[in-house]
Amino acid sequence: MIIQILINGVLLGGIYGLIGLGFSLVWGVTNLINLAHGSLVILGAYATFWIFHFLHIDPFISIPLVMVALFIVGYLMQRYIFNLAIKADVFLTLIMTFGMDVLLAQLMIVMWSADWRSIATTYQGKSFIIGQYLFPYTRVLGFVAALILTILTAIFLNRTKTGQSIRAVALDMMAARLMGVNPGKTYAITFGIGTALAGAAGSLISVIQSFNPAVGGGITLRAFVVAILGGLGSVEGAFLGGIILGIIETFSAFYLGESFKNVVTFTLFVIILVTRPRGLLGKKYYG
Amino acid sequence: MKGTKILLAALLALGIVGQSVAKENVIKLGAAISMTGKLAREGKYVKDGYEFWTWYVNEKLGGIKIGGKTYKLQLVFYDDESNANTAAKLVEKLITEHGIKFILGPYGSSATFATSAITEKYGAIMVEANGASDKIFTRGFKNLFAVLNVASQYLQGTIDMLANLDPSIKKVAIVYEDKLFAKSVAIGAKKHAEAKGWKVVTFAGYPGGTSDISSLLLKVKAKKPDVVLGSGHYQDGVLLVRQMKELRINVKAIGETVAPTLIDFVKNLGKDAEGVFGAAQWAASLKFSDPYIGSTQNFVKMFEQKYGYKPDYHVAESAAAVEVYQRAIEKAQSLDPQKVRDAIASLDFESFYGPIAFDELGRPAKKGMVVVQVQNGNQVVVWPEKVAQAKPIYPKPKWK
Repeated sequence: MIIQILINGVLLGGIYGLIGLGFSLVWGVTNLINLAHGSLVILGAYATFWIFHFLHIDPFISIPLVMVALFIVGYLMQRYIFNLAIKADVFLTLIMTFGMDVLLAQLMIVMWSADWRSIATTYQGKSFIIGQYLFPYTRVLGFVAALILTILTAIFLNRTKTGQSIRAVALDMMAARLMGVNPGKTYAITFGIGTALAGAAGSLISVIQSFNPAVGGGITLRAFVVAILGGLGSVEGAFLGGIILGIIETFSAFYLGESFKNVVTFTLFVIILVTRPRGLLGKKYYG
Repeated sequence: MKGTKILLAALLALGIVGQSVAKENVIKLGAAISMTGKLAREGKYVKDGYEFWTWYVNEKLGGIKIGGKTYKLQLVFYDDESNANTAAKLVEKLITEHGIKFILGPYGSSATFATSAITEKYGAIMVEANGASDKIFTRGFKNLFAVLNVASQYLQGTIDMLANLDPSIKKVAIVYEDKLFAKSVAIGAKKHAEAKGWKVVTFAGYPGGTSDISSLLLKVKAKKPDVVLGSGHYQDGVLLVRQMKELRINVKAIGETVAPTLIDFVKNLGKDAEGVFGAAQWAASLKFSDPYIGSTQNFVKMFEQKYGYKPDYHVAESAAAVEVYQRAIEKAQSLDPQKVRDAIASLDFESFYGPIAFDELGRPAKKGMVVVQVQNGNQVVVWPEKVAQAKPIYPKPKWK
């Protein structure tokens, strides 16, 4: 039984990790706490839903399409809106992103109504068995997709020129500028990638649960917890933070009851903030 | 032009929609209805239900006769903007400014809770059709009547049906969304199941908005229940079925509240929805007779002709609330609130909506919930036996 709970926790945690990754990347590099992250995840879920609805493309296969679309949304959003406040006080950026969250959620309600949506794949609800343990297909696929995207993001940041310029800006903006990196553009690209990752997380969410525009708030909250648990500085940290959150949630739900899982999560959240303010794997930014 | 628009908007905002029927004897019925805001969709059904029965009484039956005089019904609406406090203020306005003593309920438990306190205070009557929380009926109000079953009665039909189908059922697990309505449903189901001699092996809630209840379901699985009952909203119903399948929890029956009665449930779950039971206040396929409109079928037909869509349970219960006033006023042969109130309390007849009679708290005394089951992608009524369209499929086939 304990192993089954652990499996459920890890599988759930992979998706939490992906939710947290985009949030943590944007926060770590551009110092923007993006409260609209949850709504962007839901936007990704809707994109996946409509692609499935009209083109009948499987949600896992449409992830790259959704990511490209969301990258454009994120890039433009940062370039023409959030960039205006990038050097402003943190409260101003919080208000801006909060406003964006409300705007996005309301726009989605107006366009697509507040009805609950979910994607019915042929393999939903099915599980395979290894030993005596159950592995639901959608959740395993979700975990694998999250893992692959996390690895790709790490490779991108470490091996490509754009990725290195993102890390350079995160480490020392002045020096990066002197080396010919354009911080405005880099910020926009970073935000675009964060949004694309949010979109991918939305694709995964659309297959495992029902969603409507109002559920974005809870997702932002989880992204925040993941980013803090894992630490802001690294891709591995975000993924690990997600796994930890998933395991904590499933275990506390099993042993203490569903109603206690948030209590446990946030208690741990506070303990980590007090004892290891940079998170478990935290270091200075993404450098 | 702009001025006219503003004036028009202002008039709309005031929300006076009822038309005055001049120089005729009229009986005014007042209501605060959610025409805008988050409950606007349900509010429209409520309004259509109220208006349909009023129209039917006035145009098809020629009004209500008291002594030698004929009275027409007239509805006076205000828009409560989906806000319970606003609804309470508007009902106070309807009573004090318009002098209306016969009030129809708003949409939703919170608004019904708030407005019924106002009607009770002013000695007006409320017949409500859209507030199902048990809390509404714990205050000992004398002038409050509901045509719909309250939350604690929601799963009683399902439990009765299962106990009837299979006397060997012993263990039931009840899981619920930890919110007012869903929890009242679960508590009511627990009491009823225990009264049937079943053992409640799991009784567990989870916070609203939870997207993963696998840990909870693992506990359920370990207890090996015969029946799983789930209480919550649409997304909870879908989640329960999906995760039960993922964890291969096979039981003889799954019973839920509203989710399986909604068409999206079947669309989203496909084959996995097969055999799941749901509880509904009313279904268009029921076959009741009615002293005024003949039958449930005739109600459905006439409503569809007039409004262009098939009435759902919101429409039916709302229309039934107006019918309660009609029947009671005819019976009392008076417009005195006390006499009408006593007449309502003593009503006992079968309507297109189901049997209408009230217990001492104003809740339905004879009407039960209808049990619906998903069979071959259709939602068919399987209980009560008298109105069933098909026999229930039992036990539920195992997950593949």
